[in-house]
Amino acid sequence: MWAWLFQRITAVLLIVCLAIHLIFTHILSIGDLSYDTVGERVAHGAFTALDIILLTAGIYHALNGLRMVLMDYWFTSRKRALALTIVLWAVGIAFLVYGIWGLWPYIGYKVG
Amino acid sequence: MSAKPRETANVGAGLWKATGMWAWLLFRISGLILVFYLGAHIIIISTGQFGAGGSTFNNVMDFLEHPVAIVLDIALVVAVLYHALNGVRVILMDLGVGIKRHKVIFWSAMAVVVICFVIFAYVAFSYLANDVGPWSQALGVAS
Repeated sequence: MWAWLFQRITAVLLIVCLAIHLIFTHILSIGDLSYDTVGERVAHGAFTALDIILLTAGIYHALNGLRMVLMDYWFTSRKRALALTIVLWAVGIAFLVYGIWGLWPYIGYKVG
Repeated sequence: MSAKPRETANVGAGLWKATGMWAWLLFRISGLILVFYLGAHIIIISTGQFGAGGSTFNNVMDFLEHPVAIVLDIALVVAVLYHALNGVRVILMDLGVGIKRHKVIFWSAMAVVVICFVIFAYVAFSYLANDVGPWSQALGVAS
């Protein structure tokens, strides 16, 4: 039930935040992609916040979606489903930490 | 609508047959593609941590200008738009909105997919042709 509800909540968050993300990165500022051009954009606090929301909601939504697919075919028993859930939470947290670490140089980027 | 009539309503309306079944299958396939893409995206962006002055990141970005990468980008846009708009339809069905008109809602969502795709493709191809986005200069937000 909670997983179902969070899947919907993250879905709505992703639609809104991803729309902003794609409009800014691909429609308004389409151009040469480099460490400097991306850094200038991400250096704005609002974009950093947006990226962290996207990262968190995206990882949850992606891995819970994957979990639902896997539970339909291979992880059908309660025991296996629980093991899968634990493994995916560990993978998700690892990706979140890695993703924030990956964003770090852009967050500290000095414009100009 | 209470829970019980809602359950029977979506069976009676054929939510899981024909259009609804294909919508569900494509939703899963696009979802799995997006899971894979998210992992790749996080790893690619994290290359900013490696190489002096972002040199690794710049090399990856140059590599992604390959025509195959551009074709995959276009496929990605289709997967994102389909998954997002069909997701809106799924949420509407969950809320019990328009179950009896689910096919109309599905095709309306697909119309939004096509409109968004055309806008995206127009921006992408004019950038590829002119080296500048159609609206980036006018809006003063050129990267």
